[in-house]
Amino acid sequence: MTTASSAAPSAEVTAIDASARCPLLLLLGAALLWLVVSGALALLNLLQLSTPSLAADCAVMTFGRTAAMQQTAFLYGWAANAGLAVVLWLLGRLGGSPLRSLNWTVAGALFWNLSVALSLVGIGTGDGASHAWLHLPAYVQPLMLVAYAAMVVPGVLAWTGRRQPMMFAAQWYAVAALVLFPWIFSGAQLMLSFAPERGVLQALVAGWFGQGAWSLWLAPLALAAAYYLVPKVGGRAIPSYDFAILSFWTLIFVGSWTGGRHLIGGPVPAWTITVAGVACVLLLFHYIVVGINLRGAFACGGSTVLRFIALGLGAYLLGGLGDALTAFRGVAVVTQFTHLATAQSQLALTGAFSLTIFGAIYFMVPRLTGQAWPSGSLIRGHFFAALLGTLILIGALAVAGWIQGQDLNNATVSFAAIAAHTQPWLLIAAAGQAVLVVGNGLLLVHLVRAIACRWLKPAPAIFPEAPTMEVSRS
Amino acid sequence: MKNSLTFFLGLFFALVLSWAGIVFGAHAQLSRLAPYFDENEGKAFPERMPGIAARGQLVYQDLGCAACHTQQVRRPDFGSDKARGWGERQSVARDYVSQSNVQLGSSRIGPDLANFGARPAAVDAQRLTRYLYDQHGGMPSYRFLFETRKITGERSAQALPVTVPAGREVVPTPRAEALVAYLQSLSNVYEYPEARPVAPVESKEAAK
Repeated sequence: MTTASSAAPSAEVTAIDASARCPLLLLLGAALLWLVVSGALALLNLLQLSTPSLAADCAVMTFGRTAAMQQTAFLYGWAANAGLAVVLWLLGRLGGSPLRSLNWTVAGALFWNLSVALSLVGIGTGDGASHAWLHLPAYVQPLMLVAYAAMVVPGVLAWTGRRQPMMFAAQWYAVAALVLFPWIFSGAQLMLSFAPERGVLQALVAGWFGQGAWSLWLAPLALAAAYYLVPKVGGRAIPSYDFAILSFWTLIFVGSWTGGRHLIGGPVPAWTITVAGVACVLLLFHYIVVGINLRGAFACGGSTVLRFIALGLGAYLLGGLGDALTAFRGVAVVTQFTHLATAQSQLALTGAFSLTIFGAIYFMVPRLTGQAWPSGSLIRGHFFAALLGTLILIGALAVAGWIQGQDLNNATVSFAAIAAHTQPWLLIAAAGQAVLVVGNGLLLVHLVRAIACRWLKPAPAIFPEAPTMEVSRS
Repeated sequence: MKNSLTFFLGLFFALVLSWAGIVFGAHAQLSRLAPYFDENEGKAFPERMPGIAARGQLVYQDLGCAACHTQQVRRPDFGSDKARGWGERQSVARDYVSQSNVQLGSSRIGPDLANFGARPAAVDAQRLTRYLYDQHGGMPSYRFLFETRKITGERSAQALPVTVPAGREVVPTPRAEALVAYLQSLSNVYEYPEARPVAPVESKEAAK
């Protein structure tokens, strides 16, 4: 059970890594490409907020469409590809056998990324579905479901065929993310695109899907990586591990009930909002346990992997607290409908998810290519850009949102005045986003270099052959 | 945890529970909500959108207007919605029963539009069209919804009073006209029984 937690912080390459090299590098490459695209769109979007005339005469680049394209590229381009790459890899390692049927992943990934590209074109030309977290045009949604099912086949096989019946925490989260997403995705497609619900029920379904996509898909993907890497890299067992299972089921049972917090004061049944508020507070138990379990990340001891995960974990815990606070009506009356809500979602996506997955990528890629990262300065550059960019972006958006919220509640302040008050902060946020784009660009370049180095001038492997497969080390 | 099947069923159960609670629960409560027939007026509310407005809703959706505008008025004592003149009463579920694609929105970079058609700004279609053509405060211009063309014969009655080279005119495309019709159709002034503003509770001592 504590297989990974008792493993020494060695940097071994196993047959599991070697067999999965090409498919997983394909997923990671695509993911980082989408991350840079999404970052550039986010930058344009933020600049449009302070300079509305920017690209306004171009229909494809109108504000509402760039916002939708940016979110789609981030969620379905970056988060899905990168999260799946990490989780497939760790399921293979924890399963104890090389991943099987990886051709399914490659085929699925091709269709998935094609669908994401098609979605961006579709949104740009006006076919977007215009639900938060689900802007995908209706015609690509079924294809994406099939592609997703193909991509996760090796993960499910690695889980069902694992050599050791006991499951480690990373496996719970990984398997939950793999199997829950297609269910909520198909449910949302059915109830929003193909047999749409009537009236405000659409908003409730979209809220349920959006929250589910975070609580049951992206957050578990990141947590799976963190639960695997923190004990492995830190070389210490997970403290209070017995509580981890309770925390896991709390997230799975309660997480998707919190979607209604975005509809406070809205034309939906009041109980949906109250239930969401209660669920947000209940979920604090999950966050506390995750914080205790993974506190080893904060004693990172100079490890790049753990430094990223510690930042991601910090953002995750802060995000949980923020969700609970803004679910109170008294707070929401200021924060709702403002940039502060955007800051919160960025804290979860750019902060918690991306930073944790970056940590996993830094651990995983050298083991896939069999060579160390080519450049230490690129890693440092990316780390500081990610840290600085995330802090500036989220901090500035939060301040802008608070100012906007106070102004909105004062009926004498016009929208032009609100725009003037928030503009400096939005410009700072845009600067933060620019730093993020540069940083993520560095990671993309670095990945390309790492792959090129492997094929162009193979260096002697720096990692010793692992004596045995992972599970037999316990 | 050892048993894969139990684990899998647990995941499934958790998801079904949240679906049944939130989606099915609200569905059971709201799916039979029908327009309200007012015997005095002899018609049902909310009124169906005219065809051109329904097309305009699609334009509103495809341009992503909901990225900046909400369409939900909150109750008078929650936020400044009433004070800003966005509506005398809060929006209720019945306001949306006849809309095929509900655009509640989640961001107020611009004003709420739930009741826009009932506001003075919406009365004049030409002024509203001009509003879309020019950049206005924080709102970008939407010139791609307009066409600059050569005047053939009479100058179009729809032509915008803007400076263009002689012999040419700027006219709204059908998409712009549909969007304007949609914005003008947005109204929830009708008071449903469930939507009457809750009168502020005055203390009985003060009333005496």
